[in-house]
Amino acid sequence: MRRSSIVAPLILIAIGALFLARNLYPELPVLDYIARYWPFVLIAWGALRLGEIVFWAASERPMPRFGVSPGEWVLVIFLCIFGSSLHAVRGFSSWWPRSRVMIGGLDMFGENYEFPLSGEKASGSAPRVVIENFRGNARISAGDANEVKVTGHRTIRSLDQSAADNANAQAPLELTGDANEIHIRNNQDRVSNGRVRLTADMEITVPKGASIEAHGIYGDFDINGVNGSVDIISDNAGVRLQDIGGDTRIDLRRSDVVRASNVKGPFELKGRGGDVDLQDMQGPVTINGAYSGVLEFRNLAKPLHFQGENTTLGVERLPGDVRMALGDMTGSNLVGPITLSTRSRDVQLSDFTNSVDINVDRGDITLRPGVLPLARIEAQTRSGNIDLALPPNAKFDLSATTSHGEVNNDFGAPLRNEEQGRGAALRGSNGGPTVTLHSDHGDVTVRKATAEEKPAKEDTKSLKKIEQ
Amino acid sequence: MTGNFICAIRGPVMLILLGILMAIDQMGSYSFGRTWPALLIVFGIFKLAERSGRPAA
Repeated sequence: MRRSSIVAPLILIAIGALFLARNLYPELPVLDYIARYWPFVLIAWGALRLGEIVFWAASERPMPRFGVSPGEWVLVIFLCIFGSSLHAVRGFSSWWPRSRVMIGGLDMFGENYEFPLSGEKASGSAPRVVIENFRGNARISAGDANEVKVTGHRTIRSLDQSAADNANAQAPLELTGDANEIHIRNNQDRVSNGRVRLTADMEITVPKGASIEAHGIYGDFDINGVNGSVDIISDNAGVRLQDIGGDTRIDLRRSDVVRASNVKGPFELKGRGGDVDLQDMQGPVTINGAYSGVLEFRNLAKPLHFQGENTTLGVERLPGDVRMALGDMTGSNLVGPITLSTRSRDVQLSDFTNSVDINVDRGDITLRPGVLPLARIEAQTRSGNIDLALPPNAKFDLSATTSHGEVNNDFGAPLRNEEQGRGAALRGSNGGPTVTLHSDHGDVTVRKATAEEKPAKEDTKSLKKIEQ
Repeated sequence: MTGNFICAIRGPVMLILLGILMAIDQMGSYSFGRTWPALLIVFGIFKLAERSGRPAA
């Protein structure tokens, strides 16, 4: 009889753990992990099998006819196809999309050759500056002169000096166009054939009124002090913006960080990425995409609309801050109407005004309105506890219910407990706006806010929250 | 016995090698399109080892 291997149950356990992790933390980029690390599953599988067979051989048990059965090979092939297509789809291979096959030798045996980069062109006071098809890092800042000036260096990775010289000559830096529109072109496509790879690090000085339009393949953008609009489209980029006067639109297939501060116009961000950090934004902020890192928003003067994979957040104005990380969200000093719906997060909001609508699938909700008079509050969670701390002199028409759990009344009159089936309810009114709390599975607590939760100390509180 | 043992570990070793080649492919240094012949070579070595193992067994 063929001995059964321990690998099959282990694979079952691993798949189970993966799905469980995804269910518990929907924001966890499980697919990204698979796309990145699936080859190691093959290695571990083979290693386990090998260990097993060596052990059987050492203990003189009969050898199986196949180390890996035909059925398992079929599974392996499926895994390879699935893994590599996921890898391609998720954009991890976007570094060198067109020349992946040949690039290997270059990385092992190639050397870096550096060439200085410089160019300049006179322009009007508010030109459109277009950076074309760019691979490398660009730092753009505003200068006083009416000209576009590029300095920096390019790095050419190639097998020998002559190929690098050749590539540098074939792909010159070009600044073309007229006073109103200037194109900066590194011509990297011309030489990217697998034998050489050209990346550029550019310091670009533009007139203060310039607008920037950048199309990147791989590399970071750092833009500072430009009064016009900024448009960035890239396959993979980190973006840092500071003191931007106009509209900003960023569309990234992948990014590790997007950071912006002091942008005057509307700000629009799309795509996938890691961390997002926005502060002192004077225009409306619209974010639409999948971000797996930490999102922080501070001091937004206009509405914020965030649409993530599992979370939707709308805030009318944000004098304070909002921070979202894996599995939780904290916010303080928000101006409503606030709408939030999320799959799996613990939500903590303090010092908010105007109406609040919160819908959580799984997670606790902690609310401390702080500012009187109270506005309409509607908070629902399918699974989790709700904790509402009201100022002692608040006016409200409250109804707190739970289908499976307890209600705790630490506020006192006018609230009264009502038992109903497996759940419980807490109702009472002293003539204020409606406050509705509901948990399907979990406890609901209404209490008086303590002195330290008063809004006057919001600064120390928000600091504490960030430390958590 | 030896031939049998070699036959048994052939699958796992090939699997490990496949995994390593795929990992190298993803790191971007050598693509699988260039490294796949290593699988043939290792398979051939196993076949040779089987032949030399069998008469001894």
